[in-house]
Order: sequence, then C-alpha cells, then structure tokens
Amino acid sequence: MSRMTISGKRNAGLLSNENRRKVTWALFLLPALLIYLTFMAVPLFDSLRLSLYTGQGYTPTKFVGFQNYIDLFTNSLWRGKFLGAVLHTTIFFAIHMLVQNSLGLLFANLLSSDFKGRNFFRTIIFTPATLSVLVTGFLWTLILNPNWGAVNKILVAVGLREWALPWLGRENLALPIISLTSVWQWVGMPTVMFLAGLMGISDELFEAARIDGASEWNIFWKIKFPLLKPIIGIVAILTFVDNFNAFDVIYAMAGAKGEPSYSTDLLATLFYRTGIAGEHPVGIPNMGMGAAIATITFLILMTGVLLWLYLSRRNSEEA
Amino acid sequence: MQKKLFGLLSVLILVSMALTACGAPATEAPAATEAPAATEAPAATEAPAATAAPAAEEITLTLGSWRVDDVAAWEIITAAFHEEYPNITVKFDPTNPPDYNATLRTQLETGTGPDLYFVRSFATGRELFDAGYVASLKDLPGISDTFTEASRSPWATDAGEPYAVPIIAVSHGIYYNKDVFAANGIEIPATWEELMAASQKLLDAGVIPFANGTKDAWDINEVVMMQFIPSNIGGYEGRMAYLNGERCFNSEEMVASFQQIADMKPFLPTGFEATSYYDSAQLFAQGQAAMMMDGSWSIGPFEKDATDFEWGVFYPPALEGKDQYVTFHVDAAVGANAGSPNLEAAMTFLEFLESPKFAELLGNNLPGFFPLTKDVPTLSDPIAADFMAFNSAAKGVDIRFVWEKLLAAPSGSVDAYTSLNNNVIAVLKGEKTPQEAADAFNADVAAWYEPAAACK
Repeated sequence: MSRMTISGKRNAGLLSNENRRKVTWALFLLPALLIYLTFMAVPLFDSLRLSLYTGQGYTPTKFVGFQNYIDLFTNSLWRGKFLGAVLHTTIFFAIHMLVQNSLGLLFANLLSSDFKGRNFFRTIIFTPATLSVLVTGFLWTLILNPNWGAVNKILVAVGLREWALPWLGRENLALPIISLTSVWQWVGMPTVMFLAGLMGISDELFEAARIDGASEWNIFWKIKFPLLKPIIGIVAILTFVDNFNAFDVIYAMAGAKGEPSYSTDLLATLFYRTGIAGEHPVGIPNMGMGAAIATITFLILMTGVLLWLYLSRRNSEEA
Repeated sequence: MQKKLFGLLSVLILVSMALTACGAPATEAPAATEAPAATEAPAATEAPAATAAPAAEEITLTLGSWRVDDVAAWEIITAAFHEEYPNITVKFDPTNPPDYNATLRTQLETGTGPDLYFVRSFATGRELFDAGYVASLKDLPGISDTFTEASRSPWATDAGEPYAVPIIAVSHGIYYNKDVFAANGIEIPATWEELMAASQKLLDAGVIPFANGTKDAWDINEVVMMQFIPSNIGGYEGRMAYLNGERCFNSEEMVASFQQIADMKPFLPTGFEATSYYDSAQLFAQGQAAMMMDGSWSIGPFEKDATDFEWGVFYPPALEGKDQYVTFHVDAAVGANAGSPNLEAAMTFLEFLESPKFAELLGNNLPGFFPLTKDVPTLSDPIAADFMAFNSAAKGVDIRFVWEKLLAAPSGSVDAYTSLNNNVIAVLKGEKTPQEAADAFNADVAAWYEPAAACK
C-alpha cells in the first residue's frame, strides 16, 4: 500500500515532466516519419491506387477496379508475358542462390585461412562489384559477341568452331549466361559477408575441434556452417530482394524487351516497358497496368521477406 | 548489394540517354547529353501577354522533338527563321526518343508543353489532336498546296482536317561495298533472284553478304521486312486492300515476303541472333560484310565510319516479274500547342516549314532525312540524292506496312508491328515456315482488327 502511495506521489509530481519527455521522444521521430511517409508510404499507396486505373499518359483517370489484375491473369497475352517474367525472375534468382552464394561461401572459407596473396584474391573477387552494371554488361556483351568477341575467337582458335554459339541470341542460353555474368559481378558481396561471419567465430572452437581430431570438412559442416546460418539467411533474403528487383543487367545485355524473344524478360523489365517506356514503336505507357505489375512484385517480395522473418525467428527460438 | 540500387538509378538516367531505337534510330547518341531538361521549357513560353506594340514584341518559342541527334542542324534552321522574323526566336528542345511520347503528354496535361512540337504519325499523333492538345491547321495557308494528300493524311482527321505540317520522311535501301562488288564481279542486281545469286557468290568468296542481325529485333522488321512488302503487295493500293479486308494478312504476297526473309538466312553473319544493329553497322563499316539493309538515317554515320572503301546504295529489287515499290516512310510533322499563348507566332513558324527554303535547309543539313514538300530541292549529298532517285525510278512509294491503323492494338492484343517482328525472327530461327509465320501474323491481327477478321 505504502509503496503505491509513494509511487503515486512521484507520478503526480513528475507527470508534466514525463509527459513532456514522451512528446520530445515523438518529436525526434517526426522527421524520419515524415520522410518515410513522403517518399515511401505515400508513393507506395499511390501506386496501389494507380493500379486500379487505366488511361494513357502519367495521370490515368479512368477507374476500372481490379480490371488490370484480371487482365494480367486471364488475358492470354498479358498472362503469358507476366508468367514468363515470373519464371525468368525465379530462374535468375535460383542461379544467384546456387552459384553466387555457394561460391561466396567457398571463397570466404578459402580466404579465411592464412595464405600468401590472400589480400590480392580478396581484392580481385570484390573488384567487379565496384563497377557499374552498365559497364560490366557492355564488356560481357563485347566478350560474348559472335563476330569479334573473345570467347568465340578462343573457341574457334582451339578448334571448337561448333561450340562458338551466339550466346546472347539463343533463347535457352541468354538468361543463364546473363545470370552468370551477374554472379561474376556480385560474388564479392556474399564473400565479404560470409568472411566477416567467419572472422567472428572464435578460434578456440576450431582449436578444440582440431584437438579432438576433426577434419576440415567436419569443421566446416559442424562448426562454421551452423554458426553462419543467420548470415546465410541475410544473404539469401538480400539476394531475393535484389534479384526480384533486377533490371540493370538485363537492360545492359538484352535490352528492355528482354531479347531474344522475351526470353530474358524479368518482372522489372516488364514493368519498365509497360508502365514507363511503352512498347516500340508506339511508346505510350500503360501506367495502370504497370502499377499492377509493380504491386504484384511488391507482394511477392513482401511474402518472401515475411517468410524469412518467420523462419529466422523460429530458428532463433529453437536455438 | 546496395550498389545495385545505385546501378538501377544510373540505368534510369542512362536509359533516357542511351536508347535511340525509336522513330528514326541513329547509331550513336552523343548529342543526347546536350538535351536540356524538359522542365526548363515552360519558362521560355512566358512571354509578356498584353503588350501594346506587337511589332517590337520579342517572342521565344520552344520546339519539342525526339531528334536529340539533330540539335546542330536545327540550330541552323531556326537561325534562318529568326533572320526572316527577327522578333521570333525558336528554341529546339528535344527529349530522348523513348521518353518523348510520355514526357510530351505529361507536359501537355500539366499545361507546360512546348509551343511547337514534333507529332508522331497516325494513331499516336491523332490521339493528341483528339484530346485537344494540337491546334487545327485547317486555316494554315498553303498546307494543301505544298504537300500531297499522302503526305498530309498521317497527320489529318478522316475528314482531311490537318493538324501538323509534315516535315521529314526517311527512306530505306541496301548499303553496299562497291570495292567488294567489283572484286567479285557483281553488278547491282535487278531482281531478287539475282541478288540471292550474288549473295551466294559473295559467301563462296568468304565475305559476309549481309550484315543484318536480330538481337535488337526492330531493325530486321523495319529496314528489312518492311522493304520487301511494298513490292510484293503492290504499294499503297495493295496495302489498302489489306486494311479494307479485301486481302488477308496471310495472302500469298505476305508469304512471299516471309520467304524472302527465309532466303536471306544463309547470307546473314554467323551468330546473327546475337548481332545487334550497332554490330551490323560496324560489320559493314569495317568492310567485313558486303551489304547492309538499313535506313537513310545511316548516311551520316557511314560517311564518318566507312571511309576505307567506296560504297553506295541500291533498293532491294523485287521478285522476278513484280513491279518495284519503295518504302518512303513519313516520320515527323510539327504541330502547334493549342494552349500556347503565342499561337500566332507558332503558326508563322509552321508556315516557314512549308517554304522551299526550309526544305532545302533540312535536306542538306540532315542528309538521309527528306523534306515532304511536293517540290523536292536538289540534295547536295550524293547518297541522299540516290535515295531520292529510288522514288522516281519506282512504280510507286508507300509508307511502312503496319503504321497506318495497325499499331494501336487494344490492351491485351498483339499489335501488327510486334506480331510481324516476332514472326520474322521465328522464320529466321527456323521455328516457323513462311506460310506458318504468315498464318500466325494473320491470326494476331484478325484477333482485334475487324477488316482482317472478315477478310476474303
């Protein structure tokens, strides 16, 4: 009883002060909140709103409800384009997950051991990530060029003329090849993150394991891999978000139409053509449909991120 | 990985600068950087509205355009206009081609559009007129005398009310390496069959006959396929038969055009699927390929790049027994912003665009871009003059096959341009026979274009 009275008294005495503190705290949030609302939330909701409209130009005026979404899933042309883009984006993501992140893990593991020239290799692996995608995309387009590209020149020179293919011109080759050039460029990122994770693992664990006679293989799978799991999760979700938003590398190497024959068309290139640039030669964008595609891309991304949050929380609770 | 976000940003900026495959594409776009931001335009239009002495009034007009490569030539043209009308200054203010339609539309919707602007032919321009953004030119003196009906109609209502002054046409042809032709004893072929025989001869001699490829897609459609079609279908009258439903889009003439595409396949570079428009131009300019089918807009670039050998142009010959028709495509017209405070001055400039002086300035400062006036001035550039000579030698000239009525498909349908493009590439890749390609083309168009659905 007496404690309550005391605290009650204190509250009564400090109420205005505490209230002020509460207000001050909110005031500090205000600028960030305003910036977030103006530049993130409002455009996002406006784009949701826009996806319910149709018309030409940048201010579509005719309200059509969910017609854009219905068209996107029922009209055979739109459905074909859209599902194609989803499929290509998934393949693009899968190649990055499998190749880029596995290589990143391998490189990080190698770079974490002590050997001569370690810094040199670390720099080499990271360097492409510092270049512009347009530059690397253009360089790879030149290297893969069927007329004067280095790849085909070498293949012909060693007698493999029938292997000298138009790499970026075949529908079944273009997407894997472009994905691999993107892997080449970005492999430094997961490498650096995994390396940081490995550096954070205490050496005592490795020493203890070695004393117990564990092989390097066992050390990797029994110690490093489990301890890297949170970082693997972060790398996976970053790769996911990046790849489902990817546009630049396709634009640089295959053009905004995802040539050849739309076989490299990703969600972002489809969105760009539909909502921003329009299709050659008419070039009038369909903002409403573009917004609908953007909304669905956003939903895919959000589902992925929420799934990851759920899984990582469950994981940490288990641990 | 955050770098990718910056990458995306820089792409969006570069997108607007690097893309040139629109309307009349050019192989380089360095002048793009000179394009001032479109938002600067409105400031210039705010001329004093209520001054008492109009004679002394200084008026500045902006001229919107998608021709970012032609700033220098337009400065000469607008300077000549300023000399005649010292109180009116015209500022050429281009937007990057892929953004032009959308940017212009936004400017017009928000009341910040340029006083004068380039208007696209047919549906795209017509839509602006119907929305009330382009001033009617039915009272512009001289417009019906200066231009033929065929030149005016891409920028006129069905009743013939004009809303833009036609200024630029582009032509098409085969650029050929004269040295290689001479070394292999090849004359300019008179029929398609002769051209194919000559190509075989070149291939046997180890030369790439044609530089064209399909990586960028639009070029095989616009400068190859649409050069074949007029001779096969019989020019303008033939095209009207398709548009009226008197012929189906898979008629034998269309199959023959697809067959010509199939005929060319062995004579394209190895790896043509991954050969871009720019690669093609390089193959020709470096002398590795003997011919390139291309548009007249490439005269300038080739005069700069292909300096190691003699070259010229000829028109792709018709099939044996067919008359020759030439694709002479209406490309650009200039209209006046109906909401401009300086409409009168804008009309003065439009009248200037009808003058022989303008035709002469345009034809000679932009070789490969031809004035559309009835009386064509003598062109100083010999290649440009050769292109013009195709027109007089041919039985007739016509625009590109799909432009009139067939570009604007309803959302969710394939327009004729895209369908033709996809089917041409399918034939080249061996995925479809010419007959199958023509059938698919017909089905795509008939799905939304009523005369095609009811064709005989």
